[in-house]
Amino acid sequence: MFKLIVEKELREILGSVKFAVTFGISSLLLLLTFYIGARNYQVSTGQYEAARRENMRKLDGLTEWEEVRNFRVYLPPQPVSSLVMGVSNDIGRTSEIRGAGEISARDSKYGEDPVYAVFRFLDLDFIFQIVLSLFAILFAYDAVNGEKERGTLRLTLANAVPRSAYIAGKIAGSFLALAVPLLIPILLGALLLIAMGVPMAAADWNRFALIVGAGYVYFGVFLSLSLFVSSATEKSSTSFLLLLVVWIFSVMIIPRTAVLLAGRAVDVPTVDELVSQKSRYSASLWQEHRKKMADFRAPEDTPMDKVMDQFQKFMGDLDAERTEKMNAFSQRLNETRTNAQAVQERLAFGLARISPSAVFSLLGTSIAATGVHLKDDYKLQAEQYQKQYAEFMKGKTGRNPSGSIVFRTMTTDGDQQEKKKINPGELPAFTFAQPPVRSALGSIIMDFGILALFNMVFFAGAFVAFLRFDAR
Amino acid sequence: MFATIVLKELKSILVSPKFPVTFAASSVLVLLSVFMGIREYRASLDQYQAAGALVQQEMRESRGWMALSNRVYREPDPMQIFASGVHNDVGRLSGISTWEPVKLSASAYSDDPIFALFRFIDFTFIVQVVLTLFAILFTYDSINGERESGTLQLMLSNAVPRAKVITAKFAGAWLGLVVPISVPVLLGISLLLVYKVPMTLEHWVRLGFLIGASVLLFTFFIAFGILVSSVTRRSNISFLVCLVSWVALALIVPRAGMMMAGQVVKVPTDAEIDSQRDSFSKDRWNAHFKGLEEKWRKRNEPLRALPEKEREAKREEMEWTWAEEDKKDRDSMQAAIDGNGRMLREELRNRKGERERLAFALSRFSPVASFQLAAMSLAGTDISLKPRYEDALEAYRTTFNKYKDEKQRESGSSGGIRIQIDTDRGIKIDVGREIALDLTGMPEFTANRPSLSESVSATVVDFGLMGLFSILSFAGAFAMFLRYDPRYAN
Repeated sequence: MFKLIVEKELREILGSVKFAVTFGISSLLLLLTFYIGARNYQVSTGQYEAARRENMRKLDGLTEWEEVRNFRVYLPPQPVSSLVMGVSNDIGRTSEIRGAGEISARDSKYGEDPVYAVFRFLDLDFIFQIVLSLFAILFAYDAVNGEKERGTLRLTLANAVPRSAYIAGKIAGSFLALAVPLLIPILLGALLLIAMGVPMAAADWNRFALIVGAGYVYFGVFLSLSLFVSSATEKSSTSFLLLLVVWIFSVMIIPRTAVLLAGRAVDVPTVDELVSQKSRYSASLWQEHRKKMADFRAPEDTPMDKVMDQFQKFMGDLDAERTEKMNAFSQRLNETRTNAQAVQERLAFGLARISPSAVFSLLGTSIAATGVHLKDDYKLQAEQYQKQYAEFMKGKTGRNPSGSIVFRTMTTDGDQQEKKKINPGELPAFTFAQPPVRSALGSIIMDFGILALFNMVFFAGAFVAFLRFDAR
Repeated sequence: MFATIVLKELKSILVSPKFPVTFAASSVLVLLSVFMGIREYRASLDQYQAAGALVQQEMRESRGWMALSNRVYREPDPMQIFASGVHNDVGRLSGISTWEPVKLSASAYSDDPIFALFRFIDFTFIVQVVLTLFAILFTYDSINGERESGTLQLMLSNAVPRAKVITAKFAGAWLGLVVPISVPVLLGISLLLVYKVPMTLEHWVRLGFLIGASVLLFTFFIAFGILVSSVTRRSNISFLVCLVSWVALALIVPRAGMMMAGQVVKVPTDAEIDSQRDSFSKDRWNAHFKGLEEKWRKRNEPLRALPEKEREAKREEMEWTWAEEDKKDRDSMQAAIDGNGRMLREELRNRKGERERLAFALSRFSPVASFQLAAMSLAGTDISLKPRYEDALEAYRTTFNKYKDEKQRESGSSGGIRIQIDTDRGIKIDVGREIALDLTGMPEFTANRPSLSESVSATVVDFGLMGLFSILSFAGAFAMFLRYDPRYAN
C-alpha cells in the first residue's frame, strides 16, 4: 500500500504543470549558478594571478633585499567558494607582509566593487535556501487539505489504507518526485565545472557532495513542514498563507534579526578603539626610542663599514624590542575582542538556528569553509607566512626585517659600483590551504543534526495531525 | 457603478482571511526594520563619534608635524535606516598622510563578517521582498478567481462596461492594500521622532520620495497580478506564473544582470592597481636617490680641496639650502607619484563606470532592481558613495598636507629624523626636537554629499521605468480583460 501511495504521488507530481514549470526554472537556475560560479572562479583566478604578477614585478630591479617594501599576499579563490560564497566577498583579500607586526587584510570584493554588493551573487546557498525551499512549499502546501478539497482524500481513505502508510507515502513520494529530478541539473552543473576547467580536487568534490546533501535535508524540512501545516489546516489557501509567512520569517527575518540582536546584546570593542590604542602605544614606544637613537655613538676610530654595521644592529635591536612590545600589547587587545566576538557569535548563531534556513546557511558555509572563520583562517596562514618571510629576509640581510625604516646608503664621494639585482623569485611563495572539513566537523554534525531534527519534528507533527484529520 | 465595484473589491480584501495574517506580518516587519535601522544608525553614529574623538586625541599626542597623520571616518546618515545600500560594504575610513594615497578601507562587514553572513534588514528590503509578494498574493486570482467562483459572469450580466470593472478592480485592490500598509509605515516613521533621529527637512523630502518609489513598486505588482489573472483561466496557474515571475524579478534578474556585466567588462582589481602604483613609486624613488647621489657628489667635489675646518664651515653654511633643495626634489617626486596614482585610479574608475552602466541597464529589466537603485540614490548609499567620498578625501588630503607643511615650517623643526653617515665625520643622528602640537586651524573634513536635486535626478530613470512597467501591466490587464471569457464552463 505504501508503495502504491508513493507511486500515485510520484505520478501526480511528475504529470503536473507545476512540476514542469518549477523543474524548468530550478534547472535553469542551478545551471546558471554553476556557470556563474565557474566563470567567477576563472575571473577571480585571473585577477589573483595578475595581482601576484604585479606584486612581483614591482620588485624587479631592486638591488638590496632591504628595499623590498609593500610585499603583499592575496587570498586565492577556491573552487567550492564560488558555489557557496559565504563571507568570502566581504572580507579583505590582500595583506601586506612586512616581516614583523600585526597583519590585517583589506580590499574585500564588495568593498572594492560595491556594484556586486548591491544585488549580491547567485550561489547554491541562495538557490537552495530561497528558491528551492519556496518550491517545496508550492508542491506540498495542499498535499493533504488539497486532496480533501478535491474529494480524493475521502475516496482514498474509504479503502483499507492505514493513515500512517498514507502520510508516510505522501512525504516519500513528494520527496522522491522533487529531489531525484533535481539531481539531473546538479550533476550537469558538476560536469559543467569540469568542462570549464575548475580544478576540483577530491576534497572539493567531497565538500560539494556534502553541500548538496545538506541542501536535500533542508529541502526535506520545508517539505515536511508543508505537509504538517497542510494536515493541520482545513483549507489549502490558509496553509499556503501560513507557510509563506513562516518561509519569510525563516529565510529572511530570523537569521538577520538574531545577528542584529546579538550585536546589540554583546558589547564587542570596535576595531577603531583597538587601532587607536595600538597607534598611541606605538607612538609612545617610538618617542622612547627616538631619544635612544640620539644617544647612539660608535667608538672612535671605528672603520666606516663597522660603524654602519653597529648602527644597523642598534636600530634592528630597537626595532625588535618595539615589535615585541607591540605584539604583546596587540595580542592582549585582540584577545579581548576575539573573546567578546566569540560570545556574540555563539548568541547570534544560537538564536539564528531557530530558523532552518540559517542552519542550512551555516552548514553550507562551514562545509565550503567560507563562514565567518574564513577571515581568521586567512589571517593565521598569512601570519605563518610572515614568519617564513622574516626567516628568509634574515637569511638574506642578516637582520630581522623591519617594517618601519629602510636605510639606503648613498655614495657621494666616490665612484658608484654597479650592484647585482636581487631575484624576487627566491621569495617563499604564499599558499593558502583551505581548512579541511574535519576542522569544522563538530559544527557540521550539529547543523546536520538540527536539520534532521526539524525533519523529524515536522513529520511527526504531520503524522499526528493527519491521524486526527477530518477527511470529510 | 465604479464606486460600487471599488467598494466590493475593498471589502473582499479587507474581510479575507489572508488580510489579517499578511497585514500583521507586514506591520511587524516594517516596524522591526525601522526599529533595527534606528538602533544600527545610533550604534554606528556612536562608533563614528568615538573614533573621531580617538583620532583627535592621537593627533594631539603627536610630537612632530612631520609624523602627524589623520584618519577620516565616513559619517553615518539617517537615511541608511531605510536603505542601507552599500553602506556596510564600503570602507568606513581612510588614512590621511603625506605618503599614502587615500583609500576607504575597513568596511563594517569586513571588520565583523558575522553581520555579513545574513546582512541587514531595512525598509527597502521589506518592500522589495515581502510587500511585493503580498501584492501578488492578493491579486493573482482577481479575475480568474471570480470566474471560477462564478461571480464574474454574474457581474458582467449587468450593464457594466468592462473597462470600468477592470479599472475599479485595480483601484479597489490598490486602496485595499496601500492604505492599510501605510499605517505601519507611518508608525515606523514616527519612531524616528520618538528616538529623536536627527532628520533634516531634506531627509524628510528624500524619505517622501522613497515612500513614493515603494508605492510605485507595489502598484506594479498589483497591476502585474491582475494582468496574469486576466491572461490565465485558472487561479492555480496564475499563482504559479506570478510566483515564478516574482522569483525572477525580485531575486534573479537583478543578480544575473550584474553578473553578466561583470563577465562582459573586465576590470582590474585594486590589488593589481596598487602594485602598479607601487611599481611606479619604486622607480621614482630609485631615480630620486640616484639624482640625490649625483647632487651630493657635485656638492662634495669643490669641498674636497678645502682644509677640514673650512669644509665643515662651508657645509654648515650650506646645510639649510641643500635641505631645501632636496625637499623640493622629494616634493616633486611625490607629486609625480600622486599624479600617477590619480591617473591609475581614474582609469580604473572609468572601467568600473562602464561595467556599472551595463550592469544597471540589464538589471533594470526588473522593476525591483529599479526600486533598489532609486532607494539607494535617495538615501545616498548607492555605489557612487565610494568614489564620492574618496574624491572629497583626496581634496582634504591636499589641504591637510598643506596645513601640516606650513605648521612644520613655522615650527622651524625638520620634524623627522636625519641620519648622516660620512666617511669624514662618522655617523650623525638628528632626531629633531619634540614639540606639542597646537592643532588650532586644522582643516576639517567635509563630506561631499549629493544635493537633493542630484539624488532625485539620478532616480528619474528608475521612477520612469517603474511607472512604465506599471502602466504596461495595467494596459495589458485592461486589453486582456476586454476579451476575457467569463464563463466558468470554459
